[in-house]
Amino acid sequence: MKCPMEAQENAGLLLDYAAGKLKADVRTQMEQHVAVCTACREFAGGQQTVWQALEEWEPADVSMDFDRRLYGRIEQNVPWWTRLLQPLNPLFRHSVPIAAAAGLVIMAGLLMNRPAGLPVAPASQSAQVEALQPEQLQNALDDMEMLREFNHLVPDNADPKM
Amino acid sequence: MDERVNKDMGGLAATLDFDAELMLRVRDGDGASFAILLEKHRLPVIHFLYRMVQNQGVAEELAQEVFLRVYRSRESYEPTAKFTTWLFRIATHLALNSLRDGKHRRAEERLDDDSGDTPARQVSDQRPSVEQKMVYQARMEEIRRAVATLPEKQRAAVLMHKYEEMEYSQIAKVLNCSESAIKSLLFRAYETLRARLAHMA
Repeated sequence: MKCPMEAQENAGLLLDYAAGKLKADVRTQMEQHVAVCTACREFAGGQQTVWQALEEWEPADVSMDFDRRLYGRIEQNVPWWTRLLQPLNPLFRHSVPIAAAAGLVIMAGLLMNRPAGLPVAPASQSAQVEALQPEQLQNALDDMEMLREFNHLVPDNADPKM
Repeated sequence: MDERVNKDMGGLAATLDFDAELMLRVRDGDGASFAILLEKHRLPVIHFLYRMVQNQGVAEELAQEVFLRVYRSRESYEPTAKFTTWLFRIATHLALNSLRDGKHRRAEERLDDDSGDTPARQVSDQRPSVEQKMVYQARMEEIRRAVATLPEKQRAAVLMHKYEEMEYSQIAKVLNCSESAIKSLLFRAYETLRARLAHMA
């Protein structure tokens, strides 16, 4: 076996040996070589230090809103006709409750802001009935007054046979 | 012989890759599969990018771009390689571009100040003392500097080899090199790191 420190084609062998990834037969060959090669022995020993040091390097936590930002960016690139079908798309299902709540708020707002005098068929009918009532009352009063005056003109001793 | 057949039939082997299957479902309009892929690969991609550019904000921004590209490319996706090979090829490409564009300068500046964005790690079961924190931060600083000084391709290769435990063949595909070139690249990179970090033993 050519020394991995001199033959680059065997570089992987030395790396895998240091990582303990070699199969038994190849590992035995490497162990025999390392036993007599100071450079390879130093490399393998040093490699453990490197890996241990790299193990210590922990990355920072990921932002909580990473997914929300990503889906937001994806949504920006979706055409309007696809957005209409989004509630059916599992990718955007998370936004359905928000959209439904927004829809309810808008509906409630529209109902509350509706003008009072909007013409509605049944309401106008009842208004018309109410408008006729004073006239009917006035007519009834007029009729009663006329009848009373008529009775007043007729003498009390008038012959009923007349 | 068997190995050669496997290599030649890389596309077929890739179809057995579960992630590739998921990506094919994304191609067919299954958004839930995209969510699974994101959940599975979010951290490895962000951590890889963080260690490449050494700035958490830039790393997350690049990771957003990676997954955005994955989603945008869904219609043209063909499982000709392992999904992670494709994913890390996109990530590496973006990281190298970012480093070349100079966005990494912020990261290097941060290496000089004391406000490392990695949360202080506890050295023992008890809360670390100020001294322990300082020692730990100094060690991290040395490790980050050692990795940062590696040439970009060597850095990417080491990160994929060490943290993602990728095979040489996969790293070679990501970096568009031959397998032997990757072995040589890694060997040189680890030698550099060994020289810089030997005193940490």
